Amino acid sequence: MFEGVPIISIVILMPLIGALVTFGLGKYERHAKYVALGFSLAALVLSGLMTLDFAIDPDPTSVGYHDGGGFFDYQFYEAHTWVSQLGISYIVGLDGISLPLFLLTTLLSTLSIVFSWDTKLRPKEYFGLMLVLEVGVLGVFSTLDYFVFYVFWEIVLIPMYFMIGVWGGPRKDYAAIKFFIYTHIASLALLISIMAMYFEAGVASFAMEDIWRAGQTEFTRFFQIAVFAAAFFGFGVKLPMVPFHTWLPDAHVEAPTAGSVLLAGLLLKMGGYGIIRVAMPTLPDGADALQIVMVVIALASILYGAMLCLAQKDLKKMVAYSSISHMGFVLLGFATFTQIGIVAGVFQMFAHGLVTAVLFMMCGVVQHHCGTRIIPDLGGLAKKMPTAAAMITIGFLASLGLPGLVSFAAEFMVFVSMYETWGLWLLLPMLSVAITAGYYLWALQRSMFGPLTDKIDTSHIHDIDWFEGVPVAILIALIAIFGVLPMIVFQYIDPAVGIVTGLFGLPGGG
Amino acid sequence: MAVWDYLVTLLPQLLLVLFALVMPALDYMFKDKRVLSWVALAPLVSLAAALIAWLFFGLWEPNASLISLLEVNLFSGLFTLVFVFVGIVVVLGSPEFIKADRNQGEYYSLILLAITGMTIVAEAADLIALFVGLEIAGISSFALSGFRKSEKRSAEAATKYFIVGGFSSALTLFAISIYYGVAGTTQILAVQPVLAGSIPGTGEVDAGPILSLATVLLMAGFGFKVAMVPFHMWAPDVYEGAPTPISGLLAAASKKMGFAAFFKVFLIGLIITKTDWQMAMAVLAIITMTVGNLIAISQTNVKRMLAYSSVAQAGYLLLVLPVATQYAVAGGLFHVLTHAFMKSGAFMVVAAMGAAAIGEKLEDFKGLSRRSPFLALAMTLFLLSLAGIPPLAGFASKFVLFSSAVYESFEPGESWLIWLAIAGVLNSALSLYYYARVIKLMYMDKGTSEERVKVPPMLAASVVFAAVMVVLIGLAPGPFVDACLEAARGFSELPLGWR
Repeated sequence: MFEGVPIISIVILMPLIGALVTFGLGKYERHAKYVALGFSLAALVLSGLMTLDFAIDPDPTSVGYHDGGGFFDYQFYEAHTWVSQLGISYIVGLDGISLPLFLLTTLLSTLSIVFSWDTKLRPKEYFGLMLVLEVGVLGVFSTLDYFVFYVFWEIVLIPMYFMIGVWGGPRKDYAAIKFFIYTHIASLALLISIMAMYFEAGVASFAMEDIWRAGQTEFTRFFQIAVFAAAFFGFGVKLPMVPFHTWLPDAHVEAPTAGSVLLAGLLLKMGGYGIIRVAMPTLPDGADALQIVMVVIALASILYGAMLCLAQKDLKKMVAYSSISHMGFVLLGFATFTQIGIVAGVFQMFAHGLVTAVLFMMCGVVQHHCGTRIIPDLGGLAKKMPTAAAMITIGFLASLGLPGLVSFAAEFMVFVSMYETWGLWLLLPMLSVAITAGYYLWALQRSMFGPLTDKIDTSHIHDIDWFEGVPVAILIALIAIFGVLPMIVFQYIDPAVGIVTGLFGLPGGG
Repeated sequence: MAVWDYLVTLLPQLLLVLFALVMPALDYMFKDKRVLSWVALAPLVSLAAALIAWLFFGLWEPNASLISLLEVNLFSGLFTLVFVFVGIVVVLGSPEFIKADRNQGEYYSLILLAITGMTIVAEAADLIALFVGLEIAGISSFALSGFRKSEKRSAEAATKYFIVGGFSSALTLFAISIYYGVAGTTQILAVQPVLAGSIPGTGEVDAGPILSLATVLLMAGFGFKVAMVPFHMWAPDVYEGAPTPISGLLAAASKKMGFAAFFKVFLIGLIITKTDWQMAMAVLAIITMTVGNLIAISQTNVKRMLAYSSVAQAGYLLLVLPVATQYAVAGGLFHVLTHAFMKSGAFMVVAAMGAAAIGEKLEDFKGLSRRSPFLALAMTLFLLSLAGIPPLAGFASKFVLFSSAVYESFEPGESWLIWLAIAGVLNSALSLYYYARVIKLMYMDKGTSEERVKVPPMLAASVVFAAVMVVLIGLAPGPFVDACLEAARGFSELPLGWR
């Protein structure tokens, strides 16, 4: 469909142009949301068409197909030199790992814009920044050059910093600056490891493919371990992993709802994507040596995150901590080094993106309609807002891994791969399922069901608004569809991951 | 014929001096003092055009110098371009800022003279020429910082600057005399063959302790100029007290002159004794960036904050000396170039605030995005660029600069240099705190006043120029990196101690 069309660049340009138009609206500020929606919708439609056009069993001779010799097999491939003196190029392309995340980005951005329909405070900046954020995340998921990758990686921080700092909650100043600096330090660790790989590879090119190819012979085991540690730190903070997760609850709780959706739905995925795209394939010996560290951190994130959720009084904070726990499954899947585990990890990123978006949107609805998110102050809201209560229930059930909904498939596959690799150590992550069910059901019981609360004024609480309900409904539909038919996504992910594990030379390949 | 060739070599200096001498006379001829700044722009813009045509388009090439004192090459050309660019930004930003002051002719005249001195330093092939350049620039800057002589702060700044500057000149001169004693000449290059014992008849010259003394004195002398810790104390006071455009000139150009001297003397003259000073320079670089950033965090005056930030930036630039490769010098030149724009731009924003009688305190920046979206956006660009956030110029140059240390650390025996890169990177993260705080104040806090800020057109033009360059270099670093690598190649063609 897109032969000879630089379609990825066009998709990235859509929100960029949209952002510039939105910022330039001046006194027509109240139309900002229409402009933003139009451009993000265009990106969504185009990326949807790309997904349909994406060849699962590609013809290596077709236009836009890049044959990277087994690993960097990309479609919609574009390559242009940017700074020839340093070997920096603008290279973009998608494979089965990045495509679902690329689509997730355009989807969640569009839905977040719809969800923020009644934003009154500085709308043109608000919607403009959301589009800038979309540009950054799309760039991260499609770029195949380390330098450009890093540029996009850092661009993401700035709009998020402003979104938390301007439209955030009461402690927004603290949360914004903590988010910015914490994740910036992690990025700098990544930057150093990129520089080290660039020079050690000695190919005078920042292209991921060139460095990966050179690295197979040039990177010593010691070098790989050192650089993998730095890169893993850089990506892991974004993921986030215990003990570097403390920026996340602050950022999430203070961010406006759409900001939390994008933060949890997209920004966390950048960390996971970096590990599977950059760190593990390029530095396999480093990953091999540090496998046990990855597993321990993953288990700690899963269990500690879940236990923290039990202790939370704030609904949104609970959802935020649950992200730590669920992103731990991504890392655990990757750390098994098995085909099924890595596929499950990638799928869990996609699934968590959908589910957590629903959860944060529903937290936003509760906050918006009741004026508080403190669980003990809520109660019996199902009587006042039945649709919202139904949606929040579905969201919670999806998140705790109810069979038939999307997270179940992902978590189940992680468990399978864990059992294959380490046998009965599986019991540790299994434990978290019980805790997760515990905190979600307990929270549901206290906030939605039971007698109507008398701690807040419930007289004018009304049910969910259309602009809140529509995005959530769309997401719930997708959660159900992909929950019943996860193979729709697997057919994209599986071949790409097969290549990765084959390359590793590790057990379970192919 | 020969005279004509001399003149061509000295043309930039002659042009600047000519205009500098005419300016005070023009002061009496025009009622509208803005004309003065237009006149002062003329030599700067024409020089900038000539230099760009040479450095980036290769349309012409200067003749090889006939004067043993000065050498025009790509390195000096690039530095001259930086000085001229900063001059343009400062001169454009000045008329509104000093519109109520007397002696405006002298003001521009001194700026042009300061730039003349800086270009001489960049071109110097001889320590005497270097010293003369340092003095011309220094004395003009002393006078400029005290330009508002009735103002206490300004007078204090000038006095402080004068005393410290005089002291550093004395140290430099003393070091030069020792250097002369060792080498028998004041040519920068000449000490190398002497030490290598390669001049027939002289044999081995054991100048160890003597030359070490000269090295330390030079470190101190130039260290004052670039505000290297522990010789940085004057910088915040002077930047705070001087008229804001002049603070921009000092931070963005005068400091770069110090680096031109550092690079020349240490990487050409003293490169043969690199092992003696390498570790000391590395430690000083790390201390300088860390101290600058840490103190900047606690500042409440934006000019002082920018002053400490430029101390920190000096620390990043000092990393070039211990690494000492062509790539590092290229990174240093590139960072000199980008820093000139982002720092002078930031000072011009502060000058615009001053011109609108708002103030220079951090709290005066509260809610600026509502009062002047233009100033707030420009300041955000400059600050993010200073912090090294892509895709702005500061990121590109820091990237080249720090990666040069990473690169060199792969060489056997040099692996400790990686710590320079790590220190630089951690410091960048640290600096983000105080840069982001200003952005936060401008965008997220409510100010006491909602009144629009009027930005005078020429000041706006100067801010726009700097901002456009910051974005342009960030988006298309290619030609600039190329020019810097070319300029640094001159260094690696020298005989000794280079990789």
